[in-house]
Amino acid sequence: MWHNQAILTETEFVLQGRLGELERLTAETAKFCREHSLGDEMEFDLNLVLEELFTNSVRHGGCAGMENAVLVRLQLLDHAVLVEFADRGTPFDPLTAPVPNIEATLEERGVGGLGVHLVRQIMRDLEYRRADGWNRLTMQRPC
Amino acid sequence: MIQLTQETKSGWCVVGVSGRADSEAADELEGALRAALELHAKVAANLAALEYISSAGLRAVIQAARAAQAKNAEFAVCSLSAAVQRVFDMSGMHHIMRIHGELPC
Repeated sequence: MWHNQAILTETEFVLQGRLGELERLTAETAKFCREHSLGDEMEFDLNLVLEELFTNSVRHGGCAGMENAVLVRLQLLDHAVLVEFADRGTPFDPLTAPVPNIEATLEERGVGGLGVHLVRQIMRDLEYRRADGWNRLTMQRPC
Repeated sequence: MIQLTQETKSGWCVVGVSGRADSEAADELEGALRAALELHAKVAANLAALEYISSAGLRAVIQAARAAQAKNAEFAVCSLSAAVQRVFDMSGMHHIMRIHGELPC
């Protein structure tokens, strides 16, 4: 009966291509963090990173209106949470996206790119690949 | 979910922002700040009860700051929680606007 007591360190959920899914994204992230006693800052960061990626996919990545557009996987490692964000939208590598100038003044400041900038600030070991019609981004948030 | 309140105090219009300023709530936030700026020369956004903000919420604040600048109004962003402050810091918001520890009124 030992196998029944194995601790599940992984969670996976699918999102439809509409912003209304943000509520579920937030709830799933909170549940994962609660189950693993991960604390408020981790929950905030995972929620933020996933919202930024999901919103980009829906607004700019061709996922709007798409069924089962996004797959999110969260896994607890020894010293980090491994996040995989996959979407079926148009090919887009966020790691090659232009970096916004965050030292710009109000007049010079562009409004784009801030979301990806936050993802890159918070996460480590980001890797992107395009395979079988999916954009797959894997990354880690240290504990 | 975002909750917005508005009150006038010592010549300032204070917009109270609580809850979550995410992609879904950003338009509502920008609308409330712009509406206050339409009618008042001094507007303070009280973020003390704001639990969460993403780039969409930051963009709403930036657009409000631009609207304030265009009409020469005072716009003060105040009382950030530690979590929200961290997102402001990572985004370089202090290069764009003054962030106040407390309400100016």
